[in-house]
Amino acid sequence: MIKKWILLLAVVFLAIPAFGADNNEIVQEQTVQNKIDDIGTKLLNANKIQKRIMFVYDKADKKSLLKLDTKHTSRRVFLYDGAYKFTENDDEIAAFLAREIVIAAKSFDEAFKGGLNSLEIAASPKKYEVIADKLAVDLMVNAGYNPLGLITYINKTVPQRRYDFISNKNLASKRLAFIYEYIYNKYPYFLVNNEYIENEHYQNFLLNSQSNRRLLMQKIKSGSTEKVKYE
Amino acid sequence: MNKLFGILLIGILCFAGCSVFASEIIQDELVKEFLLDKQIEKPEPFLNYNYENTDVVEIKLAIVDAIKSENDIYENQPVKFRVLSDVHYKGRVIIKRNTIVPAKVDVIIRSGMNGIPASIIFGNFEFEGINKHLISDRYEVRGQDRSLLVFPLKWALTFLPPTGSLTNFIKGGHARINPKKVVKIYYHPKWIMNNEQEEI
Repeated sequence: MIKKWILLLAVVFLAIPAFGADNNEIVQEQTVQNKIDDIGTKLLNANKIQKRIMFVYDKADKKSLLKLDTKHTSRRVFLYDGAYKFTENDDEIAAFLAREIVIAAKSFDEAFKGGLNSLEIAASPKKYEVIADKLAVDLMVNAGYNPLGLITYINKTVPQRRYDFISNKNLASKRLAFIYEYIYNKYPYFLVNNEYIENEHYQNFLLNSQSNRRLLMQKIKSGSTEKVKYE
Repeated sequence: MNKLFGILLIGILCFAGCSVFASEIIQDELVKEFLLDKQIEKPEPFLNYNYENTDVVEIKLAIVDAIKSENDIYENQPVKFRVLSDVHYKGRVIIKRNTIVPAKVDVIIRSGMNGIPASIIFGNFEFEGINKHLISDRYEVRGQDRSLLVFPLKWALTFLPPTGSLTNFIKGGHARINPKKVVKIYYHPKWIMNNEQEEI
């Protein structure tokens, strides 16, 4: 009889920490979900986006390769743990969400209730990657976030490819240069009053973008309006 | 005396340490050279919104100078629009006909393969006496969308490889706008918290 009681107690004591761990994980997920809901909804409201877009935090590190990517059609923004772990502050979370909001919002306009737009984005991701970056800067500024967070986020998360002329992605350095130029032209306040100047990732961007920033300097000095061929 | 000397020494070492750290920070030459001497306003975010009210005022505009192609313009280029008719709100004229409205070319999307059209996104419409945050201030002009032709053709030719892939090379139409094209912008006069209500 005593043996049975001991066994029962042992089972109960062993089970409690397991439930506790599960509970902690759920609470943690809820905290992240609430955070991205707040930031995402603030981006939508501050930018007067009259389209229903929802935000989903997913613990999965990587999307299954066999699973069809539905982000262009489902009007949902997925923030995977693999992407979330790189974010340091609200600016960077807003940067990620703002880019995805631009793409999701496009799926509401034009023919077939946005169906054709979604198809075009899927067929030409390289072109829309840069558009999403630029429009994300506007969304961030309107919602009170620092757009330099987009630069640090991309600098940390997007690997530098060797070439991009046969790829469906742009070189990360090119994207960063276009974002920098967009901020320089439209929101120079953030560069003059730079809160990120001592941020290691921003410094790393400055270090790696020397040649591209020199090209931009030449463009500004010459007063040219041509598109700069960034590397 | 020794104590004072010690404090001074520590102070000097601290300042020297700080200056070494400061010299490691890469400064942005572009900002120093082109922006520091300019008067730059802080962009104000739009956070005092209140979307209870459903009032909406349509503003009809037309571009002053025609744009024949997205290749003729550049991003951040100033453009001018003209108000086509008096704009009324609560029985009062709030914007007069023929008022010139400055705006900017926000983003240009070049035409692409698969019949994807070019686009010009106009923004930053500036109406005198109207809070810019209360205007749905983006307007997109798209070129001819040939993807409607390309995608079905591509799928139909799937059984004859590589003919389907050849449709990739069909490019979309150029984005153009002329003064006859009516551009509609919407003004929401009450989309702001009561204590910051617009005076109109």
